[in-house]
Amino acid sequence: MSKIMTVDILSSIKGAQPSEAVNKLFEEIKNANPTTNNSLNNVNHNAVSINDLREDVVVESSVVERQIIKENFPIEKEGYLVVAKVIEN
Amino acid sequence: MESQIKKIHEQLVSKQITCTSLVQERLELLKANAYNSVNSLLEETAIDLAAKVDAKINNGEKIGLLEGIPFGIKDVYMVQGTYTTASSDMLKNYKSPYTATAIQKLLDVGAIPLVKENCDSFGHGSSSENTIFGPVKNAINPAFVSGGSSGGSAVNVAKDYTVFSIGGDTGGSIRQPAGYNKIYGFKPTYGRISRFGLMAYASSTDCVGPLAKSVEDIRIVLNAMSGKDSKDQTTILSTEISEQEIAKDASGTKVGYFKNFIEGDAIDAAVKADFFASIEKIKAQGIEVKELDFFKGDTLVSTYYTLAMAETASNLSRLDGSNYGNRIEGENLIDTYATTRSESFSEESKRRIVGGNQVLSQGFSDDIYLKGLTLRDQISTNFDTDFKEVDIILSPVTPSPPPKIGESLKDPHAMYLSDAYTVGFSLGQLPTLTVPQGTVTGLQVTAAKNNEELVLKFANFLKDTI
Repeated sequence: MSKIMTVDILSSIKGAQPSEAVNKLFEEIKNANPTTNNSLNNVNHNAVSINDLREDVVVESSVVERQIIKENFPIEKEGYLVVAKVIEN
Repeated sequence: MESQIKKIHEQLVSKQITCTSLVQERLELLKANAYNSVNSLLEETAIDLAAKVDAKINNGEKIGLLEGIPFGIKDVYMVQGTYTTASSDMLKNYKSPYTATAIQKLLDVGAIPLVKENCDSFGHGSSSENTIFGPVKNAINPAFVSGGSSGGSAVNVAKDYTVFSIGGDTGGSIRQPAGYNKIYGFKPTYGRISRFGLMAYASSTDCVGPLAKSVEDIRIVLNAMSGKDSKDQTTILSTEISEQEIAKDASGTKVGYFKNFIEGDAIDAAVKADFFASIEKIKAQGIEVKELDFFKGDTLVSTYYTLAMAETASNLSRLDGSNYGNRIEGENLIDTYATTRSESFSEESKRRIVGGNQVLSQGFSDDIYLKGLTLRDQISTNFDTDFKEVDIILSPVTPSPPPKIGESLKDPHAMYLSDAYTVGFSLGQLPTLTVPQGTVTGLQVTAAKNNEELVLKFANFLKDTI
């Protein structure tokens, strides 16, 4: 079942509304006339070829890296990292 | 060839100066500066590294060209153990757990990082005013903006606080501040330098690049950072650029410029006159110059911002306060996400995130986002055609001189339009260098993909020509 989601919900930003400055940019695109409508003809080939994928390797984090990741965690209490409140229902 | 790096290297090797005194002197300048170009100083590490370089020289050991050279880093690059704030409230206490590949390569050859530099928050801006550390002031006239988003990096180089700095360029964020502060700033071909450890803004145009005071210094730093990286699968193979090659004669180079850039109403009269005067000087050297057709500036800006906003909405969705960064507890998990993001992102970042989610949502994606992708393909195709006719495309960096501090924040749409000359080359993923000559905010020199060597060679030619 489809449900309409507004930009404040999609962006997780309270009270967010589309802005006039940005809408002016989008109007320009809507009114532009590309010579074709084929967006699959991607000229900038950034995707990596399947033959060029790197090996899956597990890289161990260093002790310093792990320590900093813990320091960056927003809340710590009595040696535990505290997660945000979960949704109750 | 003129080079700050080589000059300092000679002074270190011949013991005219010590690395410690050099680093201390630059740190003092950075501490005392009134331009808001500094987010944090890396003082302790810098002095330790300088002492090691001095010890090596005193022991009679050879040092590399970049060894002991002080540099700056835009505050969107990971450097292990340093604060990496993206000039934002969201990450004001965030410490990098690891180091970006481009920066690691500079550390490996002995360059010494001094400072994490002020910029627009997450690269969202063209004036370095969208920052929690105060607007970065222009190095030439502090009443004006420094440009952005790599404003702090440009000012630090222009004021000689750093020998070179590493900026990030998504739609002009290295080239425009370089032009506003009259230095060189280079956006290489997309993929030449690894993006691993650069905070993502718009991943399909994000580029790492140097800002410096000479073409030779740009060459040296570019060579040091380039190369394939398994941690960024969009990186490409590239060859080292030699000093001899870029010093060669540029005669025979065919030059083009986009006539609609120069003939429109948006361009300042002095920028237009100066640009044409530069073209005449180039022609006087026997260089063939052609007029080229291109997309109008409004279309380029709209295409770029549509795609960049979509990508930043996706990239910044990870910032929700759960694992790192600021967290403001709400009634439940969803409310915690929303409260954290509402209160921790700047107005400009929110505007771009919301715009990105707008174009990616059902009912808008076909008319705007997918059309933007189609336009981007056509822009790239246009470049391919142009580079069959010419070798270099010259353009002004900006349509107007730098605005006064405070003006850009009042009119975001005008700020977006001021990027009209830089964003096209980002969408085309082309190597483009700002040279501090030709107009009040410089000139851009662009070549076909992977032809950095020609860009630098032509910049050397311009140095002696205009």
